[in-house]
Amino acid sequence: MNPIPVRPTQHIAHARDFDEWRTQARQLLQADIPPASVTWQDGEDSHADLFATPSSSAQPPPAQGSSSPIRIGRDQLTLLRNAARYRTGGVDQGADQPRWPLLYQVLWRLTRGDATATHPADADGRVLHQRWHAVKREAHHMHAFLRFHRRDDALGERYIAWFEPAHDVLDLGAEHFADRMGGSRWIIATPEGGVSWNGSALDYRHPCPDSWKAEARAATDRVNGDEDHTLWRTYFASTFNPARLNHKVMTQHMPQRFWRHLSEGDLIPAMEAKARHGGQRLAQETSVGQRKGKALPSGRAALPRGPSGEK
Amino acid sequence: MELIDKLSILADAAKYDASCASSGAPKRSSRGKAGLGSSSGMGICHSFTPDGRCVSLLKVLLTNFCLFDCQYCVNRRSSNVPRARFTPEEVVRLTLSFYRRNTISGLFLSSGIIRSSDYTMEQLIRVAKLLRETHQFRGYIHLKAIPEADPKLLEEAGRYADRLSANIELPTLTSLKTLAPEKELGTIHAAMGHMRQGIDAANDDARQDARQPIRSGNPRRQAPRYAPGGQSTQMIVGADATDDRTILQSAQHLYRDFRLKRVYYSAFSPIPERPAGLPQAAPPLLREHRLYQADFLIRSYGFQAEELLNAPGNLDLEIDPKLAWALAHRDDFPVDLNRAEPAMIARVPGIGLRSVQRLVDLRRLRRIRYQDLVSLRCRLDTLRPFVVTQDYRPTDAHQDSVRLRQNLTAPQPAQMALW
Repeated sequence: MNPIPVRPTQHIAHARDFDEWRTQARQLLQADIPPASVTWQDGEDSHADLFATPSSSAQPPPAQGSSSPIRIGRDQLTLLRNAARYRTGGVDQGADQPRWPLLYQVLWRLTRGDATATHPADADGRVLHQRWHAVKREAHHMHAFLRFHRRDDALGERYIAWFEPAHDVLDLGAEHFADRMGGSRWIIATPEGGVSWNGSALDYRHPCPDSWKAEARAATDRVNGDEDHTLWRTYFASTFNPARLNHKVMTQHMPQRFWRHLSEGDLIPAMEAKARHGGQRLAQETSVGQRKGKALPSGRAALPRGPSGEK
Repeated sequence: MELIDKLSILADAAKYDASCASSGAPKRSSRGKAGLGSSSGMGICHSFTPDGRCVSLLKVLLTNFCLFDCQYCVNRRSSNVPRARFTPEEVVRLTLSFYRRNTISGLFLSSGIIRSSDYTMEQLIRVAKLLRETHQFRGYIHLKAIPEADPKLLEEAGRYADRLSANIELPTLTSLKTLAPEKELGTIHAAMGHMRQGIDAANDDARQDARQPIRSGNPRRQAPRYAPGGQSTQMIVGADATDDRTILQSAQHLYRDFRLKRVYYSAFSPIPERPAGLPQAAPPLLREHRLYQADFLIRSYGFQAEELLNAPGNLDLEIDPKLAWALAHRDDFPVDLNRAEPAMIARVPGIGLRSVQRLVDLRRLRRIRYQDLVSLRCRLDTLRPFVVTQDYRPTDAHQDSVRLRQNLTAPQPAQMALW
């Protein structure tokens, strides 16, 4: 039995991403280090820790521990991995718990037989599920609201997009668009990372190259897009039913922070205003209603009778 | 006419069809292949218009010329609307262009009836065929089925489309005869029957394939799919005096007999120069909302239509159908969450399907307490009279339903805003 130390040793662990965290966590678990004795740092091992206490009490996690493997369920691992994509410290996120200590706390409980640690009714589990839900939602937002603009280059057809994800979902979006776009070449630029697809392979860059950022932002902000840009905006305006105006439901599904980079975003306030001021009586789009109409004469080419002879 | 004008007219003409889902397609990908497009079973809403409706597919009519004169329809023969017609190539161009920009996940194509039902159906198929075979498009395609069309054409349509639909529009013989005399309820049912047979046969083949080891990597060796996303339909609400009980019974019958994936309920929206006999009121959106809630209870919660409405009339507008049922069946409550069957827990007002699953998972590990309902964010005010946990029994379980209902519904404002 180990003697109880007079002063508890504090371990420092570094992780930049989930896989690094996992390696560190495995070592700590195998050495039986409880969560309270670990300080987690976002970043590489080589970076100095600005808030380090005198180094005599700080130790990196032991490299060798007991050899028994740590096992958790695959669903639980997915939950941890996806909750780790959540970016804490944003405007809406308030006093968020940092991710690595939370994940280690949950992992610690799981390996001690407390399966409720990942259940949504549990205090820790609830945070994980909320984060995973937010991450899933943001990935879905990326699939839905990202807009490609066509910008051919010397090699031919090419597409570029600007997107500002609230969480680390760039790879989830990139895989989706690789399936979708087939052989077309494209680039996605975000404030943090970027990714390009040359028709057969994904190329991730962190940080995103400035040239990509500049071109993507220019393509998105330019008001005078090409002919198909105008066609899309025409479609959007026409498919709207003013008799069913419902601002609340629209903004619940499509948060306003995305409107800026949508090809149709600037149309929305005008469409709403028009609907409110009288256009709400009819479902028909007003510009269509103003065109010349055409009633068709009856008795034109009678329909063939059905198989039973009835009409 | 310019393409942009055609698009403006034919998108406006198509907005009355509520079905727009891009879900239910099998997994497809264009990675490493010629062509473009993917699908994954889950739909994507690429944008939302200010009516709160999702823009998921390019939803247009091939043409809004029409031989029929259905009274509720803006495109009816006698209507004075601007008319237009796309060429199949124009629809293909729009679909591919919008798809690459990531503004849609596929195409929803319907049409007015021109020349004949067969001819119209052939034109729709032509668009789908161009997309699938010439452009190797693997995104979503939803085609309307023209009910009088030759069953062979319906069969062909199913090979290219992920979903097919024939709209019932009005659930009874009488209302159809009054408002759409050229349509036949029997013909629509027959078309749905053909589609169901095709879908069932393809599903059987797919199951057979799944049982055998994969013989080759060539997907053409496997059985061809037929509308893998199934079929759906739509009913118009509020165009005539048909009540909710009739609508729900009709929907239940359609789900059972034709194995539809979805029934859509579309509140009748005012159209220009509407014929006499059709209401000029704002669309009955709250009534439509209650029908969707009831529909969901039938499809996913195990309710029968007769349980929700056992007499002629409409669903309660003030409270949702699940709460209405609970208030009328107090003998089944309170439900002990630690002992009851999941299907009964699902009938507790304020507890949704996801929470039911989570509670059932949790009670394998430990006893459920009231705090768990708080953590799972169930609707506490609603469920309180109806549940028992390890540490909680309701105090108002013996209160009569009238009083309970009063307590549960918020005080009504003087004017009820119908959105």
